[in-house]
Amino acid sequence: MFWRIEFRLLKASRGRLAVALLALSSGAAITAALLNLQLDASRKLTREFRAFGANVILSAPEEPSAPATARAAAITAPAESLLDAGILSGVPAGWEAQPVTAVPFLYFIADAKRVSSDPVVAASSPTTLVIAGTRLSDLPRVAPGWKMKGRPADVDSSSIPCLVGAKAAEELGTAPGDALHLRANERDGSCNVEAILSAGGPEDDQLFLPLATAQELAGLPGRISLVQISAPGSAAGIARLVSQLSERLPGAQVRPVRQFTETEAALYARIHGLLLAIVVLVLLLTILCVMTAMTTLALERKRDVGLMKMLGGHISRVLRLFLVEAGTLGLAGGLLGSAVGLLLSQWLGKRVFGVSAALRWEILPLTAALMVLVAIAGAFPLRLLARVKPAVIFRGEA
Amino acid sequence: MFLRIVGECFARRPRRKILAAVVLSLGMAVATAMLSVSLDIGDRLAREFRRLGANLLVTPHADSLRLEIGGVDYRPANAGAFLPESDLAKLREIFWRNNVVGFAPILEVPVSAVAISPAPPESARGAFRATLIGTWSAHAIMSPDGSRFVTGIEKTNPWWQTDGRWFTEGSDECVMGVKFAQRNGLHIGNVIRVAAGTRTAALAVTGLLSSGGSEEDSIVAPLAIAQQLDGKMGQYRRLDVSVLTRPEDAFARRDPATMTPEEYDRWYCTPYISSIALQIGQALPGTDVRPIRRVAEGEGQMLSHISVLMWLVTFAALFASALAVGATSAATVLERQVEIGLMKALGAGTRLVAALLVAEQLLLGLVGGALGYAAGILLARLLGESVFGEAPDESLLVLPVILALAVIVTLAGSLFPLRGAVRHDPAMVLRGE
Repeated sequence: MFWRIEFRLLKASRGRLAVALLALSSGAAITAALLNLQLDASRKLTREFRAFGANVILSAPEEPSAPATARAAAITAPAESLLDAGILSGVPAGWEAQPVTAVPFLYFIADAKRVSSDPVVAASSPTTLVIAGTRLSDLPRVAPGWKMKGRPADVDSSSIPCLVGAKAAEELGTAPGDALHLRANERDGSCNVEAILSAGGPEDDQLFLPLATAQELAGLPGRISLVQISAPGSAAGIARLVSQLSERLPGAQVRPVRQFTETEAALYARIHGLLLAIVVLVLLLTILCVMTAMTTLALERKRDVGLMKMLGGHISRVLRLFLVEAGTLGLAGGLLGSAVGLLLSQWLGKRVFGVSAALRWEILPLTAALMVLVAIAGAFPLRLLARVKPAVIFRGEA
Repeated sequence: MFLRIVGECFARRPRRKILAAVVLSLGMAVATAMLSVSLDIGDRLAREFRRLGANLLVTPHADSLRLEIGGVDYRPANAGAFLPESDLAKLREIFWRNNVVGFAPILEVPVSAVAISPAPPESARGAFRATLIGTWSAHAIMSPDGSRFVTGIEKTNPWWQTDGRWFTEGSDECVMGVKFAQRNGLHIGNVIRVAAGTRTAALAVTGLLSSGGSEEDSIVAPLAIAQQLDGKMGQYRRLDVSVLTRPEDAFARRDPATMTPEEYDRWYCTPYISSIALQIGQALPGTDVRPIRRVAEGEGQMLSHISVLMWLVTFAALFASALAVGATSAATVLERQVEIGLMKALGAGTRLVAALLVAEQLLLGLVGGALGYAAGILLARLLGESVFGEAPDESLLVLPVILALAVIVTLAGSLFPLRGAVRHDPAMVLRGE
């Protein structure tokens, strides 16, 4: 009987209920979309922050540096401040279910000169610069902002490729496709300029060689200066990675690139706060919306309630009828809305971040439950019906 | 008569009207708050990104290649070129001067340091080698318009944390890298003597610096001290500049040399990193001004993504508030059916009835919108302060937008039920069917 009346009620005032349902579903859609983005935001943002490249650096436990002595004579870096290349195997391949990129670097000072048949160039003195030995193909992953110019397709694949910093290229007078002659510690080497790199930092003054070639040229086989790691994860996750790495690799010094990790944490907090505030505001608006719809409904149903009371229906039973009605409405609106909202967040994710947000199915029941609560809170005006006096109604005075 | 009916409507049933107005103004308040916050969200986020520090690097054009490994420059002393410190005030005269958040000149000098007070124990006596970084901590620059601009390393490297305090400009003080201090058993309050060749200076340690980088192994001192030690009075070698920029778009990536004069003017007057770099280069002759790509590119990419996200979210909130307002006005029309029936029974035409109700809704929308704007400004302040730690600027631009939105949404919300209500046969309505 209860359900039959319920069904009839729902059917009778479709129009009003449609307004409430619309409000509930769109509220639910927005809430679900924002919650999904919110849960996904940390993953998204950490991915976005990979645009800054490496965020953890592994280096040798620093010896007291001795610039004054090294400055004048040293052509290579002091060997004791180097790491063994084997340390790379200690870096996990993944962190928080996403891949970690670890790129080794070996720095030393060498002389470079353009190979040319021009007697003026041949007679000029070589340029002293810093050579960075690394895995060239992985450079964009630890330093994505760098701009490369050149990269001609017809580079002889048998020769050793190298990248030259913009300022170094200017000094050397070289362009992509040129061959360079390198000399360090009485050892000779050569490479083919593949591209000119502009980084806006000390890298503009450097020359990038494949790691093995660099190690051979410097006479430091199997040695590296540092490892740049680009790891995904929140600021807290990176802190955990840093402490885990320092535990696992006692021979190395591990430090986060604070410049990036701190900005990330601050931005994340801002965005998180804003999304949360909007979710709360949208829920409030939805309650208001349901409330106005229900007030109209209460007015309209005065007669029905009067009749029910007259027939002996206790007011609590009558109100339960209405609350179940509101709850059903909330559930329907919540489910419908959150399904739309999840799709919306997928689209938003794709539109904003280029990758669609992962669907979090736990949001569906969560939003539906929220909407049931919102609907019941919005049904508050129905309480006014308790005051209805059947006699007054039927005399036609209300 | 028309106005009287409208007036009486509000006077006779104040409670119902108040409820409607409250919902309306709350909805518009949320819309106002979101719009106000969003309008300067780009600025806020751009400021937030300045935590990344410098995004432009200025070096002497004639400089030799830097031989820097692990934060130590291995060039022979006096190699390379230097820039005059006195030129730096010109940075306050460029077109986008107000976008320059901070800048700090840097001169690095290799030194040997000895603790002199308290005197170290016999076993620890001896000089430590280190790099002394000469820079500004909080240097005041007088602008030509008479305002005072304070800048320094704290602005360009905001992630540097000091235990203790920064040195004061023009004093014999220094901040010591935390690792250097630890290794050599130095503390805040100690006095060290630094020497470069025959020149020496005695510096009191006022703070310990932790930066997460190679600076933790060096000494940071006022620029004047470094100049005196290096014998390069009034000169510096590198300038870090932190500027607020607009993310680069396709237009910004074009080569300025290929632009028409109008395009060039537009490019020049937009705070792209490339145009600001050009202006700084014009202000400081003999320099290379290069964007620090890793910071600038990453920032630009994230900034545009996050702003888009925030705008979409704002539209979602606007939509929710529009819906709440529309539903409310729909409800206020729906409850008037009996009244409408009575008016029609008394001979009022459909037009007149519709005009009456629309006038009422308009009044409601305008009042609700105005109240909502006032409440929304407060809400925006609250939101801005709790999220960004700073209230957004009140924009009068928002007021007409909100009023228009309120009117449109109330009318749109009431139009649909109004059509139904006006068409109803009065006899049916009055019989209660």
